[in-house]
Amino acid sequence: MIKTETYQLSMGPVHPSTHGVLQVLLTLDGEKVIKAVPCMGYLHRGIEKLMEQRTYFQCLPYTDRLDYVSAMNNNFSYCHAVEKLAAIEVPEKAQYLRVIMAELNRIASHMIFIGSLAVDIGATTGMIYPFRDRERILDIFNELCGARMTYSYIRIGGVKNDLSAKIIDMINHFLSALPSMLDEYNDLLTGNEFFQHRLKGTSLLSAEQALHLGVTGPMLRASGVNYDLRKENTYSSYDDFDFSIPLGKTGDNLDRYIVRMQEITESAKIIRQALDGLPEGEFTAKVPRVLRPPKGEIYDTLEGPRGEVGYHIVSDGSAKPYRIHIRRPSFINLQALDTMCRGYLVGDVVVAMSTIDPILGEVDC
Amino acid sequence: MHTGLLASLAAFITGLIESLLGHGFAAQLIMVLLEIIAIFAVISLAVIIQVYMERRICGFIQDRLGPNRVGPFGLLQTVADMIKLMSKEDIVPEKANRLLWGMTPMLLFIPAALVYAVFPFDEGAIFADIGIGVFFVMAIMSQGVLMFLIGGYASEDKYSFMGAMRAVAQMLSSEIPIAFSILAVVMVTGSLRMSDIVSAQTNVWFVCVQPLAFIIFIIAMLMETNRTPFDLVEGEAEIIAGPFTEYSGMRWALFFLAEYANLLAAAILTVTLFLGGWQGPFLPGIIWFIIKVLIVIFIFMWIRWTFPRTRIDQMMALSWKVLLPLALFNIMATGIGIYIYKWIY
Amino acid sequence: MQGKGLLIGLSVTLRHFFGRKETVQYPEEKLPMSDLFRGGRLVLNEKKCIGCKLCAMSCPNAALALTVEVDDQKKRHMKKYVHKSGRCLYCNFCVEACPTKAISWDKNYENACYYKEDLTYDAVARNKEGINNEQ
Repeated sequence: MIKTETYQLSMGPVHPSTHGVLQVLLTLDGEKVIKAVPCMGYLHRGIEKLMEQRTYFQCLPYTDRLDYVSAMNNNFSYCHAVEKLAAIEVPEKAQYLRVIMAELNRIASHMIFIGSLAVDIGATTGMIYPFRDRERILDIFNELCGARMTYSYIRIGGVKNDLSAKIIDMINHFLSALPSMLDEYNDLLTGNEFFQHRLKGTSLLSAEQALHLGVTGPMLRASGVNYDLRKENTYSSYDDFDFSIPLGKTGDNLDRYIVRMQEITESAKIIRQALDGLPEGEFTAKVPRVLRPPKGEIYDTLEGPRGEVGYHIVSDGSAKPYRIHIRRPSFINLQALDTMCRGYLVGDVVVAMSTIDPILGEVDC
Repeated sequence: MHTGLLASLAAFITGLIESLLGHGFAAQLIMVLLEIIAIFAVISLAVIIQVYMERRICGFIQDRLGPNRVGPFGLLQTVADMIKLMSKEDIVPEKANRLLWGMTPMLLFIPAALVYAVFPFDEGAIFADIGIGVFFVMAIMSQGVLMFLIGGYASEDKYSFMGAMRAVAQMLSSEIPIAFSILAVVMVTGSLRMSDIVSAQTNVWFVCVQPLAFIIFIIAMLMETNRTPFDLVEGEAEIIAGPFTEYSGMRWALFFLAEYANLLAAAILTVTLFLGGWQGPFLPGIIWFIIKVLIVIFIFMWIRWTFPRTRIDQMMALSWKVLLPLALFNIMATGIGIYIYKWIY
Repeated sequence: MQGKGLLIGLSVTLRHFFGRKETVQYPEEKLPMSDLFRGGRLVLNEKKCIGCKLCAMSCPNAALALTVEVDDQKKRHMKKYVHKSGRCLYCNFCVEACPTKAISWDKNYENACYYKEDLTYDAVARNKEGINNEQ
């Protein structure tokens, strides 16, 4: 008597393609996915709780360690929220510097995405090239603030230090080399038939589903929803720059990849405009040595490379936050994994996970 | 007829032993033993060279240097790795079927080594020039999948089992296009004997006569040897390492050895069937043979480090819906071609 | 046409196969670290230090444990300047907080060690031993 049954496969937490320590409980029928449940918490460090015992300034290094491939954007979001809470006016030059660094970091983060997607579908060389090029951005950051991953560059009230001529030169060099880098990825990956077949029409996420799941960032835009906080809720002089928001049509894996590729070009556009129009002035505002924001609370979100990075800060009037809650885009986007995987094969789970592009430091917080 | 470098060397050694022992049959027996040892030595050496080549090529393609520390140019890196693997702890999964599980790596090496019996390395340098050479290769090469199945099943692990299932599906889809593409070559030669196929390519290589069959053969061979873009059996991003997820240390090294022995066999088969075997001007046959094999291996490695992996259903679709009809069409075209050729002359 | 992308991909990798190699051969070659690089061990300039403990107060993770002694001229000196680098976030806040610029990084990034205890060190004791005597 032959009978078939479904079985459970625990993908992770030790698995080559879960981008860290994520466990996905797959219910499979042969190779077909019936259910995919992401289980997280393997990298939980209690950052939200840790922040309650530190002053507003001391919280900053912890935001680096959430989404460690785009730490600038986390710094940015946190500082922006605290500034709003304490009503600190940021000089225009600092706003421009923040935009430049956040966009550079967005490029670096998207390069990591291309690399990890490539290695997840088996193109090892496709991983090495973006990682090699990302090094140049890290070199810029290293020259700028002395760290390659955990920058703590964007500070409450402004930024840590000014751009030197050498850094401007490095950024210009990078921007002029960027089109040829993108051409290389396009030649090696985007144009490759195997790559397209793997990505096209898999893990569909319709606009309606994406909105229902609270998905944000490039994933949402790949489903065709034109929603980008840089345009919708302009902050930090973003309205000074001319850039477009790339949109996908169907919301499949290929769209999510293409949207991110186009975002790299758009980010480069913003950086170039910001460098050209860099205003004179102070790079940081006058901030008291002990910051005591007035009693109250604030929720503030900015557009990170993975979606909306939001900080909800409750102040009780003391030097330490009463409570901080962080809206981590990877965590919320990861909810879509089940929807994206049902009915597809095991090989597609890996690709879907890659195009969600979760950073586990952020997911587990 | 025995004019090749290897063949004359063998004849010289035979003569030497014969004069020492004064007995023809004993000399023959010793020669057979020597040849077996030689084949194993060739496989082991080739594996070491191939692993080094793979890592160097991979490094160069990825703007790195690859291994360059152990020994001159990092040549001893593979040896160092082997020593490391041998000194590792032998971990046996608790629930595994110990007999089957332990047997698999050793069994896997048998078909990988057996195919070398019928490969012509040089003029006259062929261990067993049997009349069904091509058929023998086909039959033996497909045995490897059995070991994957046993190993994957005996590991009592879901990843291994999935890998084993994939291995069977992939073998079935790759063997048939291979068989049909070789069939076209056999139709032209009219013989299954390896040495006949090589000598039929004296004037023109079969890659020119049968370009379509060559392409089908190369693609199907990539499937057969589990290399990217068809490395679904291992598919490290999906099922970790497929059938050998649970193996470690020396047992894993044997899998590795068999994998590279298979790659070499695939390259030799390509050279023999399509690229004129050991034939070539000026240089001795064995040198030509080595050059051609290395070039084919380079192409396999180049492909591996460029392409992403396909999905299992896409691989099957490619094999059954594209390669097989094309191979069948090729056979028909070859048949018509041969008929017209005979009609003209 | 199907297959064109594959050939373009192959040409890209072939170009890189013969192209320039990007990697740095580490033990022989080393990358230069930027002036602002934060890493390695803290170096305390005892002549400049006024013993205000602002560095320890600004530390988010309590990685600095300081003992201050007051001498007969009522000047404050560091008796112990223990940096638990295992706890350190390398955020640079201590260096920035120092009013007299008395602490700096030694910019040595090769500080892996076999025992956890080796991560904790006393900058004052290191000064006495003559390590980092450049100032």
